Amino acid sequence: MNKIQKLLTLALALTVASAATQAGAQDAKLKACFIYVGPTGDIGWSYAHDQGRKAAEKALPWLETQYVESVQEGQALPVIDRLAKNGCKVIFTTSFGYMDDTLAAAKKYPGIIFAHNAGFKRNPNMATYMADFYQVYYLNGLAAGALTKSGKVGFVGTFPIPELKRHLSAFALGVKAANPKANVNVKWINSWFDPAKTREASEALLSEGADVLTSAEDSATGVQTAGAKNIPTFSHYNPMLKFSPDNVVSGHVVHWDKIYIDFLTKVHNGTYTNKNLANVDYWWLLSKGAVEMGADNGLPFNAKFVPQLKAAKMMVGGKSVSVYDRIMALDTEMEKGGKFDPFTGPIKDRNGVVRVAAGKTMSIADLNSMSWVAPGVVGQVADEPKK
Amino acid sequence: MDEILNALLRALAFGTPLLLASLGAVINERAGVVNLGVEGMMALGALAGFAVAYGDGSPGSGSIWLGILAAMAAGGLAALLHAFVTITLRANQFVSGLSLTLLGLGVAGLLGKKYEGFPLIGQPNQWPFTIGAIVLALLLAFWLTSTRAGLTLRSVGENPAAADVLGLNVNLIRYGAVAFGGAMAGLAGAYLSLVYRPSWTDGMTAGLGWIAVALVIFVGWSPLRAIFGSIFFGLLYYLQFRLQGKTFIPTEFFSAMPYLLVIIVLALAGLRGQQGAAPEALGRPYTRGER
Repeated sequence: MNKIQKLLTLALALTVASAATQAGAQDAKLKACFIYVGPTGDIGWSYAHDQGRKAAEKALPWLETQYVESVQEGQALPVIDRLAKNGCKVIFTTSFGYMDDTLAAAKKYPGIIFAHNAGFKRNPNMATYMADFYQVYYLNGLAAGALTKSGKVGFVGTFPIPELKRHLSAFALGVKAANPKANVNVKWINSWFDPAKTREASEALLSEGADVLTSAEDSATGVQTAGAKNIPTFSHYNPMLKFSPDNVVSGHVVHWDKIYIDFLTKVHNGTYTNKNLANVDYWWLLSKGAVEMGADNGLPFNAKFVPQLKAAKMMVGGKSVSVYDRIMALDTEMEKGGKFDPFTGPIKDRNGVVRVAAGKTMSIADLNSMSWVAPGVVGQVADEPKK
Repeated sequence: MDEILNALLRALAFGTPLLLASLGAVINERAGVVNLGVEGMMALGALAGFAVAYGDGSPGSGSIWLGILAAMAAGGLAALLHAFVTITLRANQFVSGLSLTLLGLGVAGLLGKKYEGFPLIGQPNQWPFTIGAIVLALLLAFWLTSTRAGLTLRSVGENPAAADVLGLNVNLIRYGAVAFGGAMAGLAGAYLSLVYRPSWTDGMTAGLGWIAVALVIFVGWSPLRAIFGSIFFGLLYYLQFRLQGKTFIPTEFFSAMPYLLVIIVLALAGLRGQQGAAPEALGRPYTRGER
């Protein structure tokens, strides 16, 4: 009995001691926590955020991270409670639908720093951030317009919210610029992640004559479906070239780590505190390296499609140039932070109402609340203003 | 004409996993055991199938056919867990099935991490699965109604006490039926990860298992009607996108359509008293000597 008691005491003491050292080690580190809307393996949105998290942890030796995946929108609050209890000092909530929960949590936990992704509500301890693709969608649209023979480009949309309308419209403006006769047919799946719906929506678009396909759903299903039919397609969000090496033309790749490293470094060195974030809104585009045009990291175009894109001509300022040269020139210009912007007026919506006046470009607020869609979009679009 | 053909092809492609999973569920329910774990067993099957077919990623290192067997084994083993809990331990079948769904999805998600982000090279053809599923449905329909073994299975689901008196091993027959149901769910999962969408992603079953569960009631526990039921659901699924934009009906309505239809059909079945088609002892554990 005595022996057992001794052993138990020893075991207990060891546990306490190791817990204490762990806690001691943890205190020295900044703990940042992430909430994802999908599984980290979706090969889309949540996967990309998790890649960013891993890269940040690798780059910042004083950083410690934790994540919770597949948290439904509207159910973030209990998860945040748990993370707060676990000692998270910075919490990133990575879906538009977490916006109100994040704001409520920011008020409940004034000592914790929050950063909400893709939203527009802020607080002294809550910033917003976004790496946006609309510039890249325009460049991909130029390529899609040059490659379509039927004049129908398919687009699988997730939810008809401003972000998607912005991307769909930028894409359609690109398609029209390269090929004035072409249109973009859109089908909505009303889900961020649903491979089966994406498959059937893609099949429906193909059966209506689309011969180029792009999908905004968080999996490689759109790319695989296009690959099975041997038509050109575009990566969404992550490098997807390996899912269909002969058919992925280009696409867009996100680098959330650029934002995470910048933000966390500023928290670490005291630039950002729980009192001064009310006006901190990251809106990082090509110029900050937060996004990249390409079928794979560092690969703007699949070599297989380059001759076709070089042969395709479009009119720019009264001169005929190759679509390939135009895309590469604009990509370089936007990376440098040059003045070109796809949403430079005059732009009418598809009902003929002027939405961007001549010479003006859309502000971030306009882009974030966009409800109209550009000419060339064919299909039903919810909440579209008539006048 | 092309359009009709295309719609039918899509209905068959999408309906195949539904048919496979619901045939399995029809058999285990005909033996008197409900298994709501179809979604979880499907996820396990999808992962096991993909893992074995993928091998180490180099061409020829995996085998499609071994993958299919592995998927069926994974689904079957998970179902045996359900069988042990509900038949031997006589636990609530609904609770055990729901747990199996959560467990299956969780385990598959955890073990599948290393397969995420890779495509399957050399994806198999859809048709052996589709034709095989339809042939199997015909065979099962014949087996259930016209063979002694089929009659035995049904008697266990209708009146286990009487079957017991006749000297049948109720528990053993139920074990077999549940394992078959699991193997079929696993096969449906393999179809998803090898054929329909040749890659593995956590959550890729996305509710298809639940549609299969509802389908069993929709088709009145008949393998023959399951063929038409699953093709009908496949058609509906495809048409929601094909019709989108052609009508003034909002897209959200089309997205909800399969589920609305399940509710309507179940309500109609209830009104017509079709619930009577359910095996008499469905959902109730059997204990010798109790009535």
